Amino acid sequence: MIEAEGITKRYGDFLAVDDVSFTAQAGEVIGFLGPNGAGKTTTMRILTGFLPATDGSARIAGHDIFNEPLAARRAIGYLPENPPLYPEMDVAGYLEFVTRIKDVPRARRRSAVESAIERCGLKDVHRRVIGSLSKGFRQRVGIAQAIVHDPRVLILDEPTVGLDPIQIREIRSLIAALADPGKSEARTIVLSTHILAEVEAICPRVILINQGRKVVDSSLAELTAEGQSLEDVFARVALRAGEAA
Amino acid sequence: MRHVGAIAGRELRSLFVSPVAYAVLTLFAVLAGFFFLLSIQGFRETMNYYQQIGQFDVLEQINLNNQVIAPFIQVMWIVFLFLIPGITMGLFASEKTNGTQELLMTSPLTMWELVVGKFVAAGAFVTILIAMMGLFPALLFLDADTPILGWIFSGFDLAEPDPEGLQMLAGLLGLWLLGLTYAAVGTFASSLTRNQLVAFFLALALLLILWLLSVVADLGVAEGAMGTAASLSTVLTWLSTSDHFDKLARGLVDTRDLAYFAFMIGAFLVLTKTSVESVRWR
Repeated sequence: MIEAEGITKRYGDFLAVDDVSFTAQAGEVIGFLGPNGAGKTTTMRILTGFLPATDGSARIAGHDIFNEPLAARRAIGYLPENPPLYPEMDVAGYLEFVTRIKDVPRARRRSAVESAIERCGLKDVHRRVIGSLSKGFRQRVGIAQAIVHDPRVLILDEPTVGLDPIQIREIRSLIAALADPGKSEARTIVLSTHILAEVEAICPRVILINQGRKVVDSSLAELTAEGQSLEDVFARVALRAGEAA
Repeated sequence: MRHVGAIAGRELRSLFVSPVAYAVLTLFAVLAGFFFLLSIQGFRETMNYYQQIGQFDVLEQINLNNQVIAPFIQVMWIVFLFLIPGITMGLFASEKTNGTQELLMTSPLTMWELVVGKFVAAGAFVTILIAMMGLFPALLFLDADTPILGWIFSGFDLAEPDPEGLQMLAGLLGLWLLGLTYAAVGTFASSLTRNQLVAFFLALALLLILWLLSVVADLGVAEGAMGTAASLSTVLTWLSTSDHFDKLARGLVDTRDLAYFAFMIGAFLVLTKTSVESVRWR
C-alpha cells in the first residue's frame, strides 16, 4: 500500500530525512516515533505529496507520488499537525467541500459526509461553525476530513495532541476501527506521536526515526520481547544518537 | 478544471459569511453614489457656465455620456484601487494561516485549478460591484419625466438629450476588465505572504506602480528629445493600465486594449501559480 524507497530531504546542508525506506501492507497500523525534529513530519509531508523529496521515490496504492501525483493523492487521507480547517465554515459544509476536491462522485458525497460525521462523533455539532468548536472537536473534524473520501492510506500527524484522556481514548478506538478490515477493505495507517503508550495501544508495528534516519523498524511484540519497555528502547536510541553526534 | 467551481464557491461562501464582503459592498455603494452625484453636479456646472456666457452651440453638444457617465466610470478606478486588494488579500494568505494550504496541496487538484478558482471567486465579486454601480448611470435612461432627469436639466432651456447605451456599456466593460486585472494582481500579492495586511499593501503598491507607469513614460518622452528613451516610454505606456482604461471608459472599444487586459490577467495568474508552487521548492 505504501512503498517508500530511499526518501531523502535536504535543506541546504541540513539533512532532514536521510534515506528512509519502508513498505506497509493493507491493514497495517504503523507508529511513527522519534524525538522532536527527527524528520517525522517532513517524511509524512513527502509521502502525501505536499513536499517533493530531494531523492528517493514513493508509491501510494501503486501510484508514484511524483509521476502520478493526482492518483496517489486520491488514495491518501492526511491529517497535518495543525488540522486544516476553515474557521468560518460549518462542519458539514466543510466536509462537503473536501469531498468535492477529493473527487468523491457527486452521488456519493452526501453519504460520505454523513458517514464521516457519524464515525467521528460530530453529529451534535455538524451545523456549528468550526471556529466556535473546542480543540477536541476541531481535531475530530480534522480526522473526519482525512477519512471522508474513504482513502486506502491514512497519514495522521499527531492525531491525539491536545486532547483530554477521554477524547484520546475515543480517537484511538476510531483509529483501530478504521484499520479493521471488517466490511470494507483494510486501510493502511501511519501515525506519528510522542506518546509511547499510544503506540503500545494501537500500533502493532513501530518505525523509529532519529536525526532523519530510520533506526528501528519492527513489530511492537519483537521490540518489547526481552521485557524492556518501549520507553527504554526510545531512550536508548535517542541517547546513542546523541553521543554519535 | 472541474475543481474550479468547488474552490471558487467555497471562497465566495467564506467571503459572504465574513464582515469584509459586506463592508466592501456598503462602502462601494456609498462611494459610487457619492461620485455619481458629483459627476452630475459637474455636468450642471458646465452647462451653467456655457449658458451664462451665452455659448448655446456648445450647450447643444454637451451630452450625458461624455459629461456624466464617462467621468463617473473614470473616477471609480480609485475606489477599485482600494477595495479590490481588500477582497483579494485573504485568498492565499488565509490558506497559509489556517493551515488549509496543506489540505489543498495534498488533494488531487492541479495548481491551475487552485489559482483559477481563487481568481474566479474574486472576479465574481468584481462583477457584483460592476452590476451595483451600473445601476447609477442606468437611472439616466429612465423616462424623461422622472424626477432625476428633471433635476439634472432644471434651469436650462435645453431638450433633454438621450444617453447612448452602448457607450455606457463599453465604459462598464472597461471598468470590469480593470477590476479583473486588479483582482489578478491582488491574487498574486496574496500568494506572496501569509499576512493579509502585507498582501493588501503589496497589491496597492503594485497597482499604483502599474497605473503610474504612463506618467513615468511621459517624463521619459521629455527625455526622449535626446533620442534614447522613446522606445522605452512606448513600452511603459503600453504596460500601464491608465491609457487602456481611459479609452474604454470613454466608450472606445479597441481590440488592442482588450488584448492588453487579457495579457495582464494571464501574466499575473502565471506569476501566482509560480509563487504558490514555490512552497514545494523550499
